[in-house]
Amino acid sequence: MDKRYAIETNNLFKRYKGKDKPTLDGLSLKIPYGSLYGLLAPNGAGKTTAINIICGLRRFDKGEVYVAGYSTKDELKKIKPHLGLVPQELALFPSLTAKENLMIFGGLYGMRGAVLRKRVEELLELFDLTSSKDTIINHFSGGMKRRINLIAGMIHSPKILILDEPTVGVDAQSRKLILDKLVEINKEGTTILFISHYLEEAEAICNEVALMDNGNIICEGKPEELYRAYECGQNLESLYMLITGKKMRDYHE
Amino acid sequence: MSKLKYLLYKDLLLLVRDIAGMLLMFLMPVVLVILMSLLQDSTLNSVRDAKVPILLVNKDTGELGKAIESEIFRTGIFEVSQDVEGVVPSVNQLEKAVASSRFVLGIYIPENTTDDIRQNVAKYVSAAFNGVETTTEHIPVDFTVYIDPTTKSSFNSTVMSTLKEKAQKIQFEYIMKEITKQVNLLSPVPISSNSFSGDQVRIEVKSAHLEGNDIVPNSVQHNVPAWSLFAIFFIVISLSGSIIKEREEGSFSRLLTMPCSYTEYLLSKAIIYTVVAMLQFAIMLLIGVYLLPCFGLESLNLGSSFAALGLLALSSAFAAIGYGIAIGNIARTYQQSSVFGSMSVVIMAAIGGVWIPLFLMSETMRTISLLSPMHWGISAFYDIFLKDAGVMAILPESAALLLFGALCFIIAVAYNHKYRMDI
Repeated sequence: MDKRYAIETNNLFKRYKGKDKPTLDGLSLKIPYGSLYGLLAPNGAGKTTAINIICGLRRFDKGEVYVAGYSTKDELKKIKPHLGLVPQELALFPSLTAKENLMIFGGLYGMRGAVLRKRVEELLELFDLTSSKDTIINHFSGGMKRRINLIAGMIHSPKILILDEPTVGVDAQSRKLILDKLVEINKEGTTILFISHYLEEAEAICNEVALMDNGNIICEGKPEELYRAYECGQNLESLYMLITGKKMRDYHE
Repeated sequence: MSKLKYLLYKDLLLLVRDIAGMLLMFLMPVVLVILMSLLQDSTLNSVRDAKVPILLVNKDTGELGKAIESEIFRTGIFEVSQDVEGVVPSVNQLEKAVASSRFVLGIYIPENTTDDIRQNVAKYVSAAFNGVETTTEHIPVDFTVYIDPTTKSSFNSTVMSTLKEKAQKIQFEYIMKEITKQVNLLSPVPISSNSFSGDQVRIEVKSAHLEGNDIVPNSVQHNVPAWSLFAIFFIVISLSGSIIKEREEGSFSRLLTMPCSYTEYLLSKAIIYTVVAMLQFAIMLLIGVYLLPCFGLESLNLGSSFAALGLLALSSAFAAIGYGIAIGNIARTYQQSSVFGSMSVVIMAAIGGVWIPLFLMSETMRTISLLSPMHWGISAFYDIFLKDAGVMAILPESAALLLFGALCFIIAVAYNHKYRMDI
């Protein structure tokens, strides 16, 4: 375990029952503290499995996983207060209001009373949702739901924030707001693992990226260094196509 | 504990916002208990009040004719006709009336039957006192009973036993009188035949109960506990549905990434749904005690042990919650859980004696019903309401329900641990 890294996986293997190929095939991922790290991969490359393992939601066959300096195998309880997850699906209670959702999630992170209320109000204000705080989530637009989903993952001011496709299905205004806020909180010291299919988003906000395929990291580093190393122009899309190919990646779960 | 408080807050809010689920859990059982109590009360009353039509032609003016006639009227189970369209029938006409299925039974007591018995007895006793071993001067005494061949043999046996008993009692009294008469002719000191009666053995029939009140089962005493159990078990649909919805929506995964354990997650649901089950139970009891009498039904007698009642309700709730959590963990989709949950609860209710009381079931079905947790619950509720049972008497059923719930919990947790982490 290297103390420089907020998230560290060493030689991680995971093969699901009934599958011939491993989903994670020796994945080694090292995300330094303070980085805004983009993980880019085609469908079926194993990124959701990797996130689930990092968050302690799935078992793995072989390897090591450390988050905030603790092993996910033995010290998951110590990891949880430092980790925030913004999953791809809207992991909210749709029949509760925005404020009720956030109060519950904050309460479960151990926040109480005035501190919790203040934090909820602040984040609602920050993401322009104050006027809708007492509306049930089911009545929200896609963009509003995404913003609440993001707030729920960062309500407790985690050291490490993992975001899986946080801007799927949102309008341009909500997308810009989300991305701007991510850059802000990263500057305040939060390590962010950002997973997206939108390469231009990763290009715009990430200071480090990794391209993943077939359960492993193909290349990683600062975007400019990667463009130079692979001689593929000045954008992530060219690099991505060069490395993962143009073949469709349909897969069955 | 404080995390549990937030989980309880979440589960409570989710529950009260689920209007359809609340109606299913609270309104449906109320409607069902009222409806079924009324329906079954009238059905049971009609069965109880249905009388067997018989045709009685009594031409004997003596004691035997009177005794049989009064016994037939006394039982209250017969609808007695003594003529057919205003005409007292002959033996042949009586046979035809029974054969045409207008009557289940036809009894023809000829004229002078009592006198003929008395004369026969006098001859036999006199002959015995005179040292004659047999007498051939015997007047035949026959009264005829026609029975519809489709009636049950047990019913026929009962009727024949009653008639024979009455005839033998009359014969016995005449024999005693005749012996007394003969002894008084021989003895200088007269004796009385009144000192000995044929009714020396009295059989008293009472409803069985452990202690206290003598209660007769009725529609309310069956339906209130039966539908309370059904309601308690029906929370399975809402409970398993909420688990699956949270899993499908992703909030379950999010909760597991928070400092909140799977045990706390389940405990919160178990506490909230235990409160729901207790509320359902209390409402159903109140309906049984106060509302059903307004519809002309009897009020529910709650027995004398509230501790037993509480223990049994809690055990039933625990069994239902365990079952709901197991379904919620094993079923993959909301549709699977709602279809399987409702079907299995309805089947458990059917074989457990909720729809049709156990005492109306065949022996085979009663044996099968032992498999249903609802049967365990109903049996114990019968003990409390009908036999005034206390905590000790219902411990076996409570233990069985608790064991069932615990087994379901273990299966749910084991399944989640083994499979969900790898799916």
